[in-house]
Amino acid sequence: ETWRYAFEEAITDVQGVYATKFKEEVEANSDHEIQLFPYGTLGESADTMEQTQAGILQFVDQSPGFTGSLIPEAQVFFVPYLLPQDTEQLGEFFRTSKAINEMFPEIYAEQGLELLKMFPEGEVCMTTQEPVKSPEDLNEVKFRVMTNPLLVENYRAFGATPTPLPWGETYGGLQTGIIQGQENPMFWIESAKMYEVTEVITCAGHNNFTTAVMANKDFYDGLSEEDQQMIQDAMDVAFDHIIDYQKGLHEESLEKILEAKPSMTVNVLTEEERAPFVAAAEEVEAKFIEMTGDSGQELLEQFKADLAAVTE
Amino acid sequence: MQSQTDTTGTDDAPLEDYQSTLPGALGNIDNAISRIESVLLAAGVLLMALNTIANVIGRFIFQNSLFFSEELNRILIILITFAGISYAARHGRHIRMSAIFDALPVKPRKALMILIAVVTAIFMFGLAWYSTQYIMTQAGRGRVLPSLQIPVWIILIWVPVGFFMTGLQYALTAIKNLIEKDIYLSTGVLEGYDDDELEI
Amino acid sequence: MAMTIFSIMIVLLLLGFPMMIPLIVGAFVGFYSMFGGMGQMETMVQQMMAGIRPASLIAVPMFIFAADIMTRGQSAGRLIDLVMAFVGHLRGGLAVSTAAACTMFGAVSGSTQATVVAIGGPLRPRMQKAGYKDSFILALIVNSSDIAFLIPPSIGMIIYGVVSNTSIAELFIAGIGPGLLILALFSAYAWIYAVRNNVPTEERATWGERAGALQKALWPLGFPAIIIGGIYGGIFSPTEAAAACVFYAIILEMFVFRELDMRGLYDTAKSTGLITAVVFILVGAGAAFSWVISFAQIPQAILSGIGIDEMGQVGVLIVISIAFFIGCMFVDPIVVILVLVPIFAPVVNAVGLDPVLVGTIITLQVAIGSATPPFGCDIFTAIAVFKRPYWEVIRGTPPFIFILLCVSALLITFPQIALFLRDLAFSK
Ligand code: NA
Ligand code: NA
Repeated sequence: ETWRYAFEEAITDVQGVYATKFKEEVEANSDHEIQLFPYGTLGESADTMEQTQAGILQFVDQSPGFTGSLIPEAQVFFVPYLLPQDTEQLGEFFRTSKAINEMFPEIYAEQGLELLKMFPEGEVCMTTQEPVKSPEDLNEVKFRVMTNPLLVENYRAFGATPTPLPWGETYGGLQTGIIQGQENPMFWIESAKMYEVTEVITCAGHNNFTTAVMANKDFYDGLSEEDQQMIQDAMDVAFDHIIDYQKGLHEESLEKILEAKPSMTVNVLTEEERAPFVAAAEEVEAKFIEMTGDSGQELLEQFKADLAAVTE
Repeated sequence: MQSQTDTTGTDDAPLEDYQSTLPGALGNIDNAISRIESVLLAAGVLLMALNTIANVIGRFIFQNSLFFSEELNRILIILITFAGISYAARHGRHIRMSAIFDALPVKPRKALMILIAVVTAIFMFGLAWYSTQYIMTQAGRGRVLPSLQIPVWIILIWVPVGFFMTGLQYALTAIKNLIEKDIYLSTGVLEGYDDDELEI
Repeated sequence: MAMTIFSIMIVLLLLGFPMMIPLIVGAFVGFYSMFGGMGQMETMVQQMMAGIRPASLIAVPMFIFAADIMTRGQSAGRLIDLVMAFVGHLRGGLAVSTAAACTMFGAVSGSTQATVVAIGGPLRPRMQKAGYKDSFILALIVNSSDIAFLIPPSIGMIIYGVVSNTSIAELFIAGIGPGLLILALFSAYAWIYAVRNNVPTEERATWGERAGALQKALWPLGFPAIIIGGIYGGIFSPTEAAAACVFYAIILEMFVFRELDMRGLYDTAKSTGLITAVVFILVGAGAAFSWVISFAQIPQAILSGIGIDEMGQVGVLIVISIAFFIGCMFVDPIVVILVLVPIFAPVVNAVGLDPVLVGTIITLQVAIGSATPPFGCDIFTAIAVFKRPYWEVIRGTPPFIFILLCVSALLITFPQIALFLRDLAFSK
């Protein structure tokens, strides 16, 4: 049988590497074949999600942040400083977190989706024209965010002027100066050439871009137990592979950036410098709870408990 | 040489005074719908300009982007497109390639016009049906616009309405061609009826 | 399946069906045969919506609106009078100015459709008055607008850069050489056309007349100031610049020149909405059709059969050119880039081609495809805006397409046309 799997990035980016590994595993261990559909080839993120719900696609990789319009609770990943900042702890967090492994699958199931795996894509860093050492430095900086209320709230709390701008206009907007900043994981700053039109990279450890792989639930439930197990195993192999792959990725991407543009300044904020950003996160938490109510609060608390468990 | 049936060429003048050729009350309804469509078109375009520029002003003067600006434009573009396609059908303004059509003798040309109108109407009605289904699926899933928090299905209601009204226009065109002697490109637009734009 | 669908679409188009029908039927047949019935037609509707969703498309109605107000009022006329005062006495001067204006406007707006409308709208009547044939004018406008793809900023190059992990800054610079070469060749052709058809020239304006024209054009010169200054000054995105032009045009024509009343504004908005709808329903239907091609992996199937791995650099470039050229005739250029670039990436690497060169050639093919029948998006924009029949709009295109194909060949033979400036700027 041929299964179809869509994701939100190019085939050479993190989601593409994950999908390729999964495809290899499935095709090595079964007679099934997997066709991969990278970013944009079947529409935008929301489109491929709907196509998976409709059963046209069997697998889809969609980042919970983008799922916000469908599943508001999924925006918890936009609350800053909820994930471990250390790579080892992060992998452990995703393997053991009750919020991720027990609570989220139920939420997704209500939308006809079988949550197969969530994985981190790398620490989100800011790129700007001027150095950012404190929220004051973001004052009057027009900072590009995706059209998402919580992300808007995040950068407002950080002191910037959040400016929702379509992805296609971001590069040009940085070049002409409509906006002076944007955030993304390091590999994406490299591959989307954001460094060509900004001067400073600032890593404040506020977030790690998280994504989720899902299957259409009817399709998944209709599979034999062997096939389900085979898929789970392939997901586990791909997960280990991607955690491994990412260990050097942040540094490797940074190296490539510095090689292409030696004048780029890179600042990793110290604990003291991070403190005011961490404090600002409370506002974002409040907004999240306001948007999602009790179920959001429960999720947020579980996240914090899971975080405490791996960082102690 | 210029094509005699410039189907896209009915100039603005007839847009002003659309008069339904339907009899009685139906004609009044048709006229009213046409008027509503034209108001929606004009209002949609003006609002889009206003919304876009308000975002710039907000960003520069008040250091505050209108976070919903993009979503509002998205709503307006759907409104404009789907109010516009039936308005365009009414005025025979949909783009087509008429070179071969124009070269045919009268009888086959009329037959072809009826075929075109019928097939187009069928596909428009079909799309009206499936877009209704799509809206119901959307409503069932409860997807909302992230900033405005409006359910997505609400902004789509123009879609089936627009397809249906367009289908209706083409169906009426087919009927008109069956009844009348002349060839009609839409209920109100006779073939060959055309201000020659070149003579300015 | 692909051949059947393409044939059906072309037959329907030639028979005179509204152009949305071939595209809708193409998508419909695809959905019906892939999913064995009507079960997934909702996704077809979804993709039609997806086609008209991109925020950058908003620039199109905004520029239509602004250009329409300017043309109905005095702004456009005064600007063109200014140009004519300087080039009216030159053979083909107006045609060359039109081509150059399209290039410049494309350079800032980044949208070929907006260029067709904003530059072509006001200039076409003047060229007609000057004695150019309409089919030549339309072809000149449509094809010159496509230079916008090559001159930065270019959304096609941004997408290519992201998908292929190529420097966007380098791509932008590499596009300038071929873009200007095309402009030069179009200008040469326009001059030859004017000479051969004996297009009359005006008397050379005196410097006094030129000063007078400049003075009359002072207010309307605010438009280029808004567009160029606003975008490069970091005040507007291209879409916002379009909306700013709308407001400036309304202020000028309603309060300064007093050519436009509320009724006129309403009618202009309505006519803008109508043109927008007629174009966007085609964009939407085209997106649904593109989805079918992409989902069925038709390009992969076709390309896997031709043994591209055994070709040298030039062979690979030729295959890429042809694939993108044909793809863009039927399918939205952005989708073509997204689908085809990853397919070609390994072989581009294997034969050691410069990805910046490949990106430039692909962008050129995309530009050509957008101006090529049957389903080039700039063609139907021109039809809707100028209210001319399909045939009339495409009749004058062959010489332009020929020039563009020559430039493709030149670019493949002499990559330095693209890479010279890049090497200079990035000292490679
Ligand atoms: Na451009
Ligand atoms: Na095309």
